[in-house]
Amino acid sequence: MSLFTRTNRELSVRIDEFFDTIEIGILIFKEGIKAYVNGDRNAFQNHLAKIDDLEGKADRLQRSIENDMIVHSILPQQRSEMVKLLWQLDEIIDTAKKSLNEFYVEMPHIPSSISHEFISLAEVSGNSAEELIPAARAFFREPHLVREKLIKVYFFERETDKAAFQMRKKVFHEMNDLSLAEKAHIRYITHHIENISDSAQDAADLLASMAIRQML
Amino acid sequence: MIFLFLTSGLFLGWTLGANDAANVFGSAVGSRMVSFTRAAVTASVFVIIGAVVQGGGAADTLGRLGSVNAMGGAFTVALAAGLTVYLMTRAGLPVSTTQAIVGAIIGWNFFTDNAVDTRALTQIVTTWITGPVLGAVFAYLLYHLVKITRRKIKTHLLKYENWLRIGLMTVGAFGAYSLGANNIANVMGVFVPSIPLEDADFGIFVLSGSQQLFFLGAIAIAAGILTYSKRVMQTVGSNLMELSSEAAFVVVLSQALVLFIFSSSALSGLMVSMGLPPIPLVPVSSTQVVVGSVLGIGLYKGVRNINLKVLGSIASGWITTPVAAGVLTFLMLFIIKNLFSIDVGHSVNPPVSAGEGVSIATIIRYSIPALLLITAVYLVYLVLSENKKTERLNKKYYE
Repeated sequence: MSLFTRTNRELSVRIDEFFDTIEIGILIFKEGIKAYVNGDRNAFQNHLAKIDDLEGKADRLQRSIENDMIVHSILPQQRSEMVKLLWQLDEIIDTAKKSLNEFYVEMPHIPSSISHEFISLAEVSGNSAEELIPAARAFFREPHLVREKLIKVYFFERETDKAAFQMRKKVFHEMNDLSLAEKAHIRYITHHIENISDSAQDAADLLASMAIRQML
Repeated sequence: MIFLFLTSGLFLGWTLGANDAANVFGSAVGSRMVSFTRAAVTASVFVIIGAVVQGGGAADTLGRLGSVNAMGGAFTVALAAGLTVYLMTRAGLPVSTTQAIVGAIIGWNFFTDNAVDTRALTQIVTTWITGPVLGAVFAYLLYHLVKITRRKIKTHLLKYENWLRIGLMTVGAFGAYSLGANNIANVMGVFVPSIPLEDADFGIFVLSGSQQLFFLGAIAIAAGILTYSKRVMQTVGSNLMELSSEAAFVVVLSQALVLFIFSSSALSGLMVSMGLPPIPLVPVSSTQVVVGSVLGIGLYKGVRNINLKVLGSIASGWITTPVAAGVLTFLMLFIIKNLFSIDVGHSVNPPVSAGEGVSIATIIRYSIPALLLITAVYLVYLVLSENKKTERLNKKYYE
């Protein structure tokens, strides 16, 4: 039984570490976008390298947590949902890394007239994912608090949709100096930033149902 | 020769181990919280301890119902009860070893012209109803307590799960002890009056004749657990309602408490010393107590989660099982006595026309209104709770 307890303790530490990694990854993503839009290439490349490391670490942690849960038969009844939750949280940092990589490879032109809106979009989308982490942590200690913590995730997801819609409308309706290719490129990039909050929403839905089952 | 006669009891013990151990560890094993090997070994050890240490009380009550005074009779009674359980299980009908053995003893009473002890029968039949009800009440309260504690302690889910795992093993051991203490009477109770064994002195402890029989019966139960209970354990959890590990813990604890209450002479003595009526020491159907406990959790969560057909089948089992076992015993005793010329027992307490004796008509007269009353109360509760729920949903919808 002592071996089992040690495994549990180690696993709970690793789960916390996984959440930390995702949380830091989201912060790095927001800073990376800010650096790109402000034209600070060095800072942007630093953030890109950091998020790459964090994404790799999150993948390794995710696999080891899943592995230990199966090998030591931990949380046997919630295992499939737990695995899905970890996968969806990992998807957030994956999407964030992919987005920054797209900026690096495709170097989209962000006109200064929408730079503020662009940074706001990344902020609000990142906030949605960021608010998910306290809810996920609460699931393990106070499942009855999960629902109220998730309200912010849904709020920021809606705000992201609104901000992206407004920005696309501005780009296509008001910014006639941009070529259609540039407009399409910005639309494509905003869509990728939106994906982060969408992933957060999917994870939030799963977390909400898991918390309800815990409380019954 | 004694061993030959005991085989029917040992067979009954084996079936009890194969089926009823699942009530103790089934939900834990089914949910993969505890491995089968660990569960089976724990259950086997504690069933034996419970049977030997505390099996006497419930066996005495069965003995008062009908003291089977010939080995041939005891053999036939146990065999008829075992066959009833087997045949009814094969036919997919709800059955309990406890109710089968009671029916078989009454069948023996009728065949050998012995009076049925009304008081003992009333005590036994009452516990068939109070056992599951008490299980439901315990489960409801314990589940509420567990939920409140979970909220208050704010411990990590993994740590909590670990505690539950240890808790499941502990209450499982207690449940197995109580199962042995309470249900050994079903297996070996009928043999106690007809096989008087001498006390066995082992130096540090002495085993009485009945304890030696209980030990043998408990070994048979343990064999049933180790050889045949795996499949039952793996499927028992999902029969009535899907159980979480918390719920599994509560169900096992409630069942263990109910079985312990109905087999502890110390607890009964304590009640008497406090000026309260004694607790009847009676074998209770562990399956039905588990169903009652699961029902208690279902009530906590809301009535919609419960498979109501199972409840109806339990109530029908209270009548069909003893009647089937009684009739089968009567027929088998007739065959054994007349075909093989084996002594199956004699009358020591002939029924009197009025007063002490009890007729089938009397049993039916009292049990049917009682069952109808319980069903009516439950239906009223169901209707009321459904109405309340509909009202709540409507209110929520229009808000």
